[in-house]
Amino acid sequence: MAPPRTYRCEGLTLRKAAIGEADLVVTVFTAEQGKLRAVAKGARRSTSKLVGHLEPLTLTRLSMARGRELEIITQAQVVDSLPALKEDLPLMARGLYVAELLDGFGPEASPSPGLFRLAAAVLRALPGAADPETPLRYFEFHLLRLTGMLPELYQCVECGSEIAPGAHRFSVNLGGVLCPACSPAEALMRPLSLRAMKVLRLMHRGSLSETAALTLNPSLAAELKSILAPTVRYWLGKEIRSNSFLEQLQNERRPGTGAIRGQ
Amino acid sequence: MTPDNLPSAAPSIARLVQELNRLPGIGPKSAQRLAYHIIRLPAEEAYALAEAVTAVKRNTVLCGQCQNLAEATPCAICADQRRNRSIICVVEEPMDVLALERTRSFRGLYHVLHGVISPINGIGPDQLKLRELLSRLSVPEVTELVVATNPTLEGEATAMYIRRHLSRDDLRVTRLARGLPVGGSLEYTDETTLSRAFQGRQDL
Repeated sequence: MAPPRTYRCEGLTLRKAAIGEADLVVTVFTAEQGKLRAVAKGARRSTSKLVGHLEPLTLTRLSMARGRELEIITQAQVVDSLPALKEDLPLMARGLYVAELLDGFGPEASPSPGLFRLAAAVLRALPGAADPETPLRYFEFHLLRLTGMLPELYQCVECGSEIAPGAHRFSVNLGGVLCPACSPAEALMRPLSLRAMKVLRLMHRGSLSETAALTLNPSLAAELKSILAPTVRYWLGKEIRSNSFLEQLQNERRPGTGAIRGQ
Repeated sequence: MTPDNLPSAAPSIARLVQELNRLPGIGPKSAQRLAYHIIRLPAEEAYALAEAVTAVKRNTVLCGQCQNLAEATPCAICADQRRNRSIICVVEEPMDVLALERTRSFRGLYHVLHGVISPINGIGPDQLKLRELLSRLSVPEVTELVVATNPTLEGEATAMYIRRHLSRDDLRVTRLARGLPVGGSLEYTDETTLSRAFQGRQDL
């Protein structure tokens, strides 16, 4: 039986681009169908019934009609516009980082309820987290898990021996921990402290709320970032543009100085 | 569409189709339609079109002050001594200046950023005319900055970025009001717009 011509779904808007006189092409991540691209006709007009419901980083209930190449959005209703995320520039930049990773990793036309729930939960957790970087690390870890690249934390990825306390390293391209005895030539390695290993294991087995409540000292937070961010970048195979913007914001000396980095 | 896959067209027609096809929003069919329309035009009209394209590329410069497209620097708006030089309205694109000028509500000066911060599309602050804006705002004569970037995620990001980088405490920074459009409908309005419309309600 042919699939129905129209259907409803809930999605997270990742990005939008202008097309034609007043239309938009919107990239949405849905639980039911993964990533999909859809046309919103006339949505750039200020009186369109769709305008305002399709902003990036918005959870929206959508009515869709199947199109030949792209789906067509016939109705849209905001479920959660995530206002707290959009009132603070560094938080918004982190939200865009999540959106860019979903855009890069999210499977097209394939049910992805776990990834959708993860992204929605992380975006909602960002404003209230003790350190907003921690939910990003949780997202990176579980994004890898849900797309089949779960970092190995319990056995050496080279020799298979069980990981015991010691001077371990994490290999970005081999996908997990290396024991002190193994140093394969092709491995891109980073030192992995015992504390970082414990946090990674907590991320694996614990919940987002447990992870987001952690207060990590700056060196540990930086170590976790140096492990997980390059791993997602390695598997994505390209630079994550919103990460550059986020790092630019973090590196600015002090807001309000009138200085723009690099100028 | 390339000249190769327009086998029956003369090379010069195929080339025109190809060039028109590069314009935004013009697909292969529209390009073909426009090309044949141009061919049927009286010669002087077609030459006038070609001359207009050449002239706009030859004569257009960026105004050294507001960064708007103009034929001279400073542009007519920046050079107009009747305009209020203490207020600068910052917009995303030159077309936004035209839209605001049509309202006849604003008599200050403009600043065109030529884009908006969009990290996911690789557009960062360094690619916009932000340094030029901050330089203009350091002059004490300027007392108000009106941030008129679009009420989109990228427009808000740009507005917040500008706010973070202002060094003068005595500068008034305002944002265009956000609310219901004329001819709109409450039923279809998103919650963010509606709540902002409520916050900005006025006495009747």
